[in-house]
Amino acid sequence: MKNALVTGGTRGIGRACALALAEDGFAVTAAYAHDDVAVPGVTTRRVDVTDAAAIDALCAEIEFDVVVLAAGSRRDVLLAMMPEADFDDVLRVHLKSAYLILRRALRPMIARRGGRVIAISSASAILGRPGQTHYAAAKAGLHGLVRSLAREVARYGITVNAVAPGLVETEGTQSLDARVREELLAGVPLARAGRPEEVAHAVRWLASDAAAYITGQVISVDGGLT
Amino acid sequence: MELKKLLVDALKLDDVTPEQIEDAAPLFGEGLGLDSIDALELAVAIERRFKVSIPDEEVGKKAFRSIDTLAEYVSTHAK
Repeated sequence: MKNALVTGGTRGIGRACALALAEDGFAVTAAYAHDDVAVPGVTTRRVDVTDAAAIDALCAEIEFDVVVLAAGSRRDVLLAMMPEADFDDVLRVHLKSAYLILRRALRPMIARRGGRVIAISSASAILGRPGQTHYAAAKAGLHGLVRSLAREVARYGITVNAVAPGLVETEGTQSLDARVREELLAGVPLARAGRPEEVAHAVRWLASDAAAYITGQVISVDGGLT
Repeated sequence: MELKKLLVDALKLDDVTPEQIEDAAPLFGEGLGLDSIDALELAVAIERRFKVSIPDEEVGKKAFRSIDTLAEYVSTHAK
């Protein structure tokens, strides 16, 4: 049985990805930092993605065939009012975590000559959004990481891609106020928010053999927003 | 000799036999002329074979200086 890791896998888009991969026959480990919520058919485990030692321990224990990077949180604040700690935290959780996880998780993939890496990004990295300079910078940083890493590990049959969702109905986005939501939806040709499962479909496809020839790409699942 | 075989196998050095690799000769640059991709492959191969981790390039640079330094690294870090 193939192993899959989904960070941020107990809630929101990560949870939908964990469920979809479990349905496709993967032994899924859903890592979480705070949200200790059961996910049917999935092993949940507390691993803070900014904690190198915890990540090393996890990757020493399980050799993953698929890694989905979906951990994250939103903390919108205008740049000119942004506490330094917020900037650092958001970059650590969204960008540095990818490095910390992949430097360990890739080695078994290299040895076994195959694997899949899928980073969950955001339409904000493509369009930009006020209040999300740190978040958009981190996600755009992930795009650069994905494109470069794809070229590093293609020789081993490992593919590396990103999925960039637009507005998706999760607990995280339910806190958006009505005006912001309306404004966001006004730019969506399909005129509705996406469901986490719709993002997970792209992820499960990228994780499958069917997507073996796709690497270094950022695939938008955003109802046409970008 | 086990290390030399691993080196030749892991890096698919078709034009080199394990016997031809000198204990003290540099593996990278001059000498065998290995590159950063070879270093990664070698680190992965050693990790799997000997359960000895070469966590990053800083450590790798020292360990991969020659067969001698690599043998010493593996023997001192073996569990």
